[in-house]
Amino acid sequence: MNTPEIRIENVSMVYSDNGASVKALDNVSIDIQKGEFISLLGPSGCGKTTLLRIIGDLLQPTSGNVLVCDQTPRQTRMDQKYGIVFQSPVLFDWRTISKNIRLPLEIMKVPREEQNRRIESLLELVGLSKFADHYPHQLSGGMQQRVGIARALAIQPEILLMDEPFSALDEFTREKLNEDVLQIWSKTNKTVVFVTHNIAESVFMSDRVCVLSPHPGRLSAIVDIDLPRPRTKEMRDWPEFNALVAKIRNSFEGV
Amino acid sequence: MSASLKSKLPVALAWIIGVIAIWEIGAWSLVNIFHDPMATQKLPFLHDIVRVMAQNWASLMDSASVTVSKAALGFLYGSIAGFVIAIVMSLSRNVERVAFPYLIISQMIPILGLAPIIYNIVKDGDTARVVISAYITFFPVSINTLGGIKSVEKDRLDLMYSYAAGKFQVYRKLIIPSAMPYLMSGLKIAAPLSVTAAILVEMLGTDEGIGVKILYTLYYGAGGATMFWASVITSALLGILGYVLISLAEKLLMPWQNTTSKRGGEDA
Repeated sequence: MNTPEIRIENVSMVYSDNGASVKALDNVSIDIQKGEFISLLGPSGCGKTTLLRIIGDLLQPTSGNVLVCDQTPRQTRMDQKYGIVFQSPVLFDWRTISKNIRLPLEIMKVPREEQNRRIESLLELVGLSKFADHYPHQLSGGMQQRVGIARALAIQPEILLMDEPFSALDEFTREKLNEDVLQIWSKTNKTVVFVTHNIAESVFMSDRVCVLSPHPGRLSAIVDIDLPRPRTKEMRDWPEFNALVAKIRNSFEGV
Repeated sequence: MSASLKSKLPVALAWIIGVIAIWEIGAWSLVNIFHDPMATQKLPFLHDIVRVMAQNWASLMDSASVTVSKAALGFLYGSIAGFVIAIVMSLSRNVERVAFPYLIISQMIPILGLAPIIYNIVKDGDTARVVISAYITFFPVSINTLGGIKSVEKDRLDLMYSYAAGKFQVYRKLIIPSAMPYLMSGLKIAAPLSVTAAILVEMLGTDEGIGVKILYTLYYGAGGATMFWASVITSALLGILGYVLISLAEKLLMPWQNTTSKRGGEDA
């Protein structure tokens, strides 16, 4: 196998608050290959978001090593290789939709022509071309989250980190966006780390699902999802799909 | 915006009619029920005051424009100072720790005491008006702006951090725009105050201004109490004017706040 795009080695994270310390991650090791779609799945308190933030240099681990693109997360962040999608859309309400997508491009000093070109194609990709000049509050939650995804993709990041991006959305919107994200991903072929607490979602999206168990957060299983791609919504009814969901659910009951 | 105006209009009308009615009834009662010989000195009829205002409109506006021009200049300087102080305090925790308590203390010095001191130092009514207006403006502006800067959402800061954005970019693209509504609230508080400050200095002795008119008509009764009240109402209108102008500026500068009253961005 090639050198992994993201190498997580024996990472532990202890939060201390007024003397009391909470172990959020205990000795987690995962290798993620380039172009892989990987999910971090687990109930709240399993440290999945903590792990994602450590990969993205938003948190420093208490111990252990993380290498992203053969360098530290900080160097990778300074190289502007991360695209992050948060749980809430985190749009700037004083910027229109197209200007929200433009934000990282301005920061990274992408030439204006190129900015316009990318914004136009991304708006089309997420189906929001008609809303380019709207303000965020004029859009529904699902549409706002699409803008967040478009903004993360705008900088053409090496690594896409998604932190429960659809957890605040209803089931219908979520399933639709699952398909949309996979479609976008198949065109761009980024390495994606996707945090979720929804088992079906993780099975539908991923090449591999890393199952984390809580208190303290540990890696309890890595499940290969050998469903063919492209994934279609009919697959959600396949026996293989449901078998994988059951297998993952059972791996929780063991812990 | 027109919808909110429509819903506000009946309330505003009710207030205006109510105040006029109470005023007129009060004035009428003084004359006809209490048979107060000083009735017209204590509370002249509102319609008399309006008539006097109309008759003396040109002279009232001359005075008002002097007051407003000084207050506006002070307001401008004070706003800039308040904004810059807030930015500097947000950049350095040490500066904030050193400066903040003194900002609070500075507001405990009664403006009534400070104004004569400044007036004595600069020996010039024009400068004193500008300085006192600026002094009274900077505090609400700086406290509100600092509050706005500090309440920037953590996720938004994380987003900028993930882009490896520089400090200047973070301020320009995130912190200052998100502090704008707070800055505007500060300006709305400060605008009428800056007019009050200018009037206060005028009462200490300047050649012109609405404050001079108020003082003069109060003591020397040119035109009687009606003219005094006309001057007071004019000065009140100036304060309201300041507030309205800032509110209009807010609407022009922040169009994203117009379409609906609250942003629904975070509840997804």
